[in-house]
Amino acid sequence: MIGYYISLALRSLRGTPILSALMVAAIAVGVGASMTVLTLNYMMSQNALAHKNDVLYAVQLDSWDPNQTFNRGDGGNDIPLQLTYQDATALLRSDIPARQVAMHRYGFTVTLEDSEARPFTAETRVSTRDFFALFDVPFIYGGTWAEDADLSPEQLVVLSKATNDRLFGGADSVGQIVNLNGEPFTVVGVIDNWNPSPKIYDLNNNPFADSEELFIPFGLHRRFEMVSWGNTNGWSAGDNGYEGYEARLFGESVWIQYWVELNSAEQKSQYDEFLTGYIRQQKEQGRFPRPLKFALTPPSEWLVLNDVLEDDNRVLGWVSLAFLLVCVVNAIALLLAKFLRKAPEAGVRRALGASRHAIFMQHLIESMCIGVLGGLFGIVLALIGLSGIRALTLGIADRIASMDWLMMLAAIVLAILASLLAGIYPAWRISRTNPSVYLKSQ
Amino acid sequence: MLNMHNIRKSYRTDTVETHALRDFSLSVDEGEFVSVTGPSGSGKTTFLNIAGLLETPTGGEYHLDGQEVSGLSDRERSRLRNEKIGFIFQGFNLIPDLNLFDNIDVPLRYRGFDSKERKRRIEKSLEQVGLSARVKHLPAQLSGGQQQRVAIARALAGEPRFLLADEPTGNLDSLMARQVMELLELINQAGTTIVMVTHDPDLARRAHRNIQIVDGQVSDLRNTIGAEEAAVA
Repeated sequence: MIGYYISLALRSLRGTPILSALMVAAIAVGVGASMTVLTLNYMMSQNALAHKNDVLYAVQLDSWDPNQTFNRGDGGNDIPLQLTYQDATALLRSDIPARQVAMHRYGFTVTLEDSEARPFTAETRVSTRDFFALFDVPFIYGGTWAEDADLSPEQLVVLSKATNDRLFGGADSVGQIVNLNGEPFTVVGVIDNWNPSPKIYDLNNNPFADSEELFIPFGLHRRFEMVSWGNTNGWSAGDNGYEGYEARLFGESVWIQYWVELNSAEQKSQYDEFLTGYIRQQKEQGRFPRPLKFALTPPSEWLVLNDVLEDDNRVLGWVSLAFLLVCVVNAIALLLAKFLRKAPEAGVRRALGASRHAIFMQHLIESMCIGVLGGLFGIVLALIGLSGIRALTLGIADRIASMDWLMMLAAIVLAILASLLAGIYPAWRISRTNPSVYLKSQ
Repeated sequence: MLNMHNIRKSYRTDTVETHALRDFSLSVDEGEFVSVTGPSGSGKTTFLNIAGLLETPTGGEYHLDGQEVSGLSDRERSRLRNEKIGFIFQGFNLIPDLNLFDNIDVPLRYRGFDSKERKRRIEKSLEQVGLSARVKHLPAQLSGGQQQRVAIARALAGEPRFLLADEPTGNLDSLMARQVMELLELINQAGTTIVMVTHDPDLARRAHRNIQIVDGQVSDLRNTIGAEEAAVA
């Protein structure tokens, strides 16, 4: 009977094109508006590391000001989100984590020897070698550098696919030389397209920016006197006994992101003990003036802690759903008018053997057909809305203001649910009407 | 076939209670053709709605084909209506945006027949009423008489044992009315029990039996054929 009801629904929609168009438009506008906002929220809440949620942890140590907490005014756990360079290098000496990554954002000017190609600035990630394995970064050619390169200055580089395409036309460039700030770097690997959004491994510097174009070893800091190209927070300008760049490396500013992979509860417990011991040791040396505090935060909580999806976005999500509800109420009124106009036909069907349930289902399926059409048009409206957001944000929101297949499916489901919600009362009303009233009056 | 005993039907508003049927008792045997007459508002249509399981009585007993139907659920009543009862209305009650084939198809869909069986029954019933050539026409493209014949074909397609007709010729001219009446007589001769409400005494006389309803009660039971024979004698 479902097929019969669908054919009746389509016939009915064709029979009242203006009223049907109004109902489809009511659902489409509601779905389009809500899906535009929900798509943004959904894309902003993506967790590219969800599959490693129980083994990966962002490391935080409270080395902050004794007089005030590290509070960004919007919640969080009051611990700095990044580490100092000296703490990061100290933690790297632990052999407890299966993998660990210390890193920050930087940039180089890229040139090729004997090439007429114009120099360009490339976003660079300065990182320890485990970055690629820890975040599941796929390689096309070569691989990461050896462990020594993270400790001693070795001028090695891993290229993104786009950079390799730009410099070497996509060929295997392992062993080739690339000049970064005029210094030769040997290519050891080329990664495939990889662009997690939000950029969960570094949420400090625009969570929705593209991933970096170059990756170089962590051991090159002193050689290039690298500082962070991203957020750096500090509380102490005090004399630490060092001069120049060394004073920065041994200062209390936080600018290094740190992640560890702990594959068992036992390993995590050991690492907790290690961090506790480390902080106690530092306290003895006059650092970490605040009460002992650190945090190991899995990726899903890290997104929340960093306010990737802000409260305003959540409120906007609810407002959009409230708007959809208003559209549903309009659709209820229109459906009621349409169905009651067809009450005589329902009376005839009842006389010919249709039960109340059959009449209810017939009209509910007609509502559902309106929902499917509303959902399809809603997707079009949402795509228009998202393209408007992309245009207004001048490319900043390009990667989040786009709809994937899952969200398109969600739009259809939302539209069907909305239309069923709108259709239940009108369908129930018409199924309860007394057929004899209409049979005599027709 | 139909046995009503002390059927009562009342409609209540906030201030008024109207008794449409009061202690209404009637039996119709299988194969009978019964006409029902009476003044407007006497309860004829209420009787027909209760007989056709479109309304439930306020009280009394109603046996249809030996089955007590007063306490049945809507689903069971709908199934019985679909399988055993055919309706013919004064206003034809064809669905205007369905062609003849699809109009006749409606009760067969609810019966659950497969498409082959539905097609067979639709073609057979249209042939019975002489409208096979109009199968793709919409009701509005037919005359009143033709529309009523389609309504009869729709009622016949389910091969009901009991046909309820509510002033089936009320909207037709005399020629069309006579044709429809002849069709009903043929159907009755084929074994279908018919109860027909009419205002037309000539048509009422053509039934085996005429009952008159006044103020919600059966006021007179006459065997019309027997009465005519007595008058001739």
